[in-house]
Amino acid sequence: MNQLTSLHLTLNRIERRSLLVGVVGLVLGGAGFFLDRSQFFQSYLLAALFWLSITLGCLAILMLHHLVSGRWGFVIQRLLESGARTLPVMAIFFLPLLAFGLHDLYEWTHKDVVGQDELLRHKSPYLNVTFFWARAVLYFVIWFALAHVLTKWSWEQDRTGDPWLTRRLQAVSGPGLVLYVLTMSFAAIDWIMSLEPHWFSTIYGFLIVVGQALTTFAFLIIILAVLARHQPLAEVVSRSHFHDLGNLMLAFIVLWAYMSFAQFLLIWSGNLPEEIPWYLHRIKGSWQAVAISLMLFHFAVPFFLLLFRRTKREVRMLVAVAGLMIIMRLIDLFWLVVPAFQPTGIPIHWTHVAILVGMGGIWMTVFAGQLKARSMIPVHDPRVQEALHHA
Amino acid sequence: MSSVTPDAVNKSKALEPVGPLIGPGHTFGSVTDKISGAVLTRRTPLGWFVVFGVAFTLVMILMLAVAYLFSIGVGIWGINIPVGWGFAIINFVWWIGIGHAGTLISAILLLLRQEWRTSISRFAEAMTLFAVACAGLFPLLHMGRPWLFYWLLPYPSTMGVWPQFRSPLVWDVFAISTYGTVSLLFWYVGLIPDLATMRDRAKARLAQIIYGVLAMGWRGSAVHWHRYETASLLLAGLATPLVVSVHSIVSFDFAVSIVPGWHTTIFPPYFVAGAIYSGFAMVLTLAIPIRKMYKMEDLITLRHLDTMAKVMLATGLIVAYGYMMEAFMAWYSGDPYEQYMTWNRMTGPYAPTYWALILCNVLIPQLLWSRRVRTHVPLLFVIALIVNVGMWLERFVIVITSLHRDFLPSSWGMYYPTIWDWATYFGTIGLFLALMFLFIRVLPMISIFETRHTLAREKERAALRGALPSAVPGD
Repeated sequence: MNQLTSLHLTLNRIERRSLLVGVVGLVLGGAGFFLDRSQFFQSYLLAALFWLSITLGCLAILMLHHLVSGRWGFVIQRLLESGARTLPVMAIFFLPLLAFGLHDLYEWTHKDVVGQDELLRHKSPYLNVTFFWARAVLYFVIWFALAHVLTKWSWEQDRTGDPWLTRRLQAVSGPGLVLYVLTMSFAAIDWIMSLEPHWFSTIYGFLIVVGQALTTFAFLIIILAVLARHQPLAEVVSRSHFHDLGNLMLAFIVLWAYMSFAQFLLIWSGNLPEEIPWYLHRIKGSWQAVAISLMLFHFAVPFFLLLFRRTKREVRMLVAVAGLMIIMRLIDLFWLVVPAFQPTGIPIHWTHVAILVGMGGIWMTVFAGQLKARSMIPVHDPRVQEALHHA
Repeated sequence: MSSVTPDAVNKSKALEPVGPLIGPGHTFGSVTDKISGAVLTRRTPLGWFVVFGVAFTLVMILMLAVAYLFSIGVGIWGINIPVGWGFAIINFVWWIGIGHAGTLISAILLLLRQEWRTSISRFAEAMTLFAVACAGLFPLLHMGRPWLFYWLLPYPSTMGVWPQFRSPLVWDVFAISTYGTVSLLFWYVGLIPDLATMRDRAKARLAQIIYGVLAMGWRGSAVHWHRYETASLLLAGLATPLVVSVHSIVSFDFAVSIVPGWHTTIFPPYFVAGAIYSGFAMVLTLAIPIRKMYKMEDLITLRHLDTMAKVMLATGLIVAYGYMMEAFMAWYSGDPYEQYMTWNRMTGPYAPTYWALILCNVLIPQLLWSRRVRTHVPLLFVIALIVNVGMWLERFVIVITSLHRDFLPSSWGMYYPTIWDWATYFGTIGLFLALMFLFIRVLPMISIFETRHTLAREKERAALRGALPSAVPGD
């Protein structure tokens, strides 16, 4: 095959550079472990949650795509599959956190604290290290099984052309999506909500799930814009695909704002001592600026920009908005996680950057490697012809 | 080229959707004849008279119940302290929820270019209007002095009466009245081209005049169509936030308080999902008998029923997630009142309603995972009815179990609906059905021009499918 095309060269380049960035970032970040252990794990948790959100977002959107078969899905199907295939790496990244970091991050792992706190004693059948571990393993097993069958059957279809596989992909995607929302909701409770173990909110799982999808749509737009300059995607990807993806991103921005506002309004109006401290930690001091920036740049500005047709059809403008969303997703995650440790003010620490970038480098290396190995369009999917011709 | 067995080719047929959007053999003319003929030329089916007769009787019962209510007061209902919100609020939320399918179909599915919406949109929009009308009755009746309802509106009153804007009950007034207005506009604007068709086809002079006036001089010119398209897109954009906002605000009626079982952050999305769930259940409950009665099976096809069943399954799962998360968080929160409330729901005096709700809303609808069930029309009808009941029970459980035992055991009490509660409730079902059946008697129940459009698109698509090299090599 004379397929060592510009696409492969680009992917090779991404792979090489990401690996370099990844190794350097992780080595630097790893040094943080010896300097300030609890700071290291805070940064590590943040980075792991961010990159896991793209992995799982890819998995979830892949299942959504199989269920609705929209025309936007086929051009990003391989990106989604490759993203979902990074799950083993994310599992490895989570290992040190689960093995060594729990004591530094989660108050409820401290026996003396739990002993003196009636509420934490009440929660200990759920919030204890053994069960926490067991749940984490269960989540990863379920996610891995889903990612595995969804990619395996799709690639099998590439080889055999068996249209029946599409039916199987659809049959897995329905229950798969239900499983993903359930497991991710509880993972959100375990890994993020229990950082402040007294607080609770029933919408929290949805909020995290919607955030993951939003991060992933922004990420996909950027990656697709890069890869669509090369064959074969250049031939099939049109402005209307970007338009669709832009609309989906807009929908998730609105959904995020709706759920965030609902949570805030209800907790603010209730003003109950068991609920309101969570917000007080996040709107006091320098955190207030972060909260306001979320309202403006996570919702108002991108919402306004994406209302216009031009923003969504002009690839460069859409990529700029997607870039803004990636940054804002990071800030949102930062705002959810870090005030649990630093309720008084924003701590900007170099390990935040180093580990985030380092982990991202490794993630991108694996992602590009997966992408290289397969055709960019699932050509044998019986739905693909009609979808691409309708574009 | 890879090898593909003929078996695989046969299998690919299984990927086709459940039948077409429009039955075979239709032309533009036959679509128009069929839909307009149901009103203008064909004999009204016997079933229409039966249903309308029953519905009209129920409307009379409603009149009686309301007349008695106005002469005596809300004391004829089962409400008292601690349960001051009884059937009136349950039914209000139930009816508002039912209306949501119409708005979703007409606004969001229009923007998403989902073509299956055409056959059911008119019908579902009408349902929205009548459901909102029934819903709107309840807060007015519940006021006790409904003639003073305008006190809810902010106007410069000489008495210095001003609504409490922090109360979601006031937000409701705005949400519901906006909802009603936009739904009416949407429905009417969508009707105009069809009203012109009816005007042109009507034989009776009076019908010609009435349809003619309502069609507002529509002649089908290019300018008219251009304006029409712009208006309907704008209205769709305006109505889209309403799909979410109305029921979110209804959920705030509960969640803004600190009553155990009401104050929980998942309420807005879970109420919205529940609303769409019950709305689609009601569309199916009505569409299945009506398509049979009027022999519309080739326009409201199995494909439509299948798709609606899928929407029901998806929204039902969100609702089930809501129940699950609420119960989990009640325990996780460690709040004794929340825990007791959940325990009381599951084992207290109203436990049968809770378990019936779980059965109707969570367990039985899981049958919809099966394509065979989704395309088995009588079974689907039964499931839709069960979901209607389940969603009513959900509101019963939320309203009654939270109120009847709150923080202080000394203020606990029981709630028993009276005959007048039931009469009013079934009366509004009668009102809804009567309005619905009047609508299908005098107006085209399916959008004629949109169905013609869909027909054209389907033919185009079939032609394209024939022209394309198939996805399966060797096919």
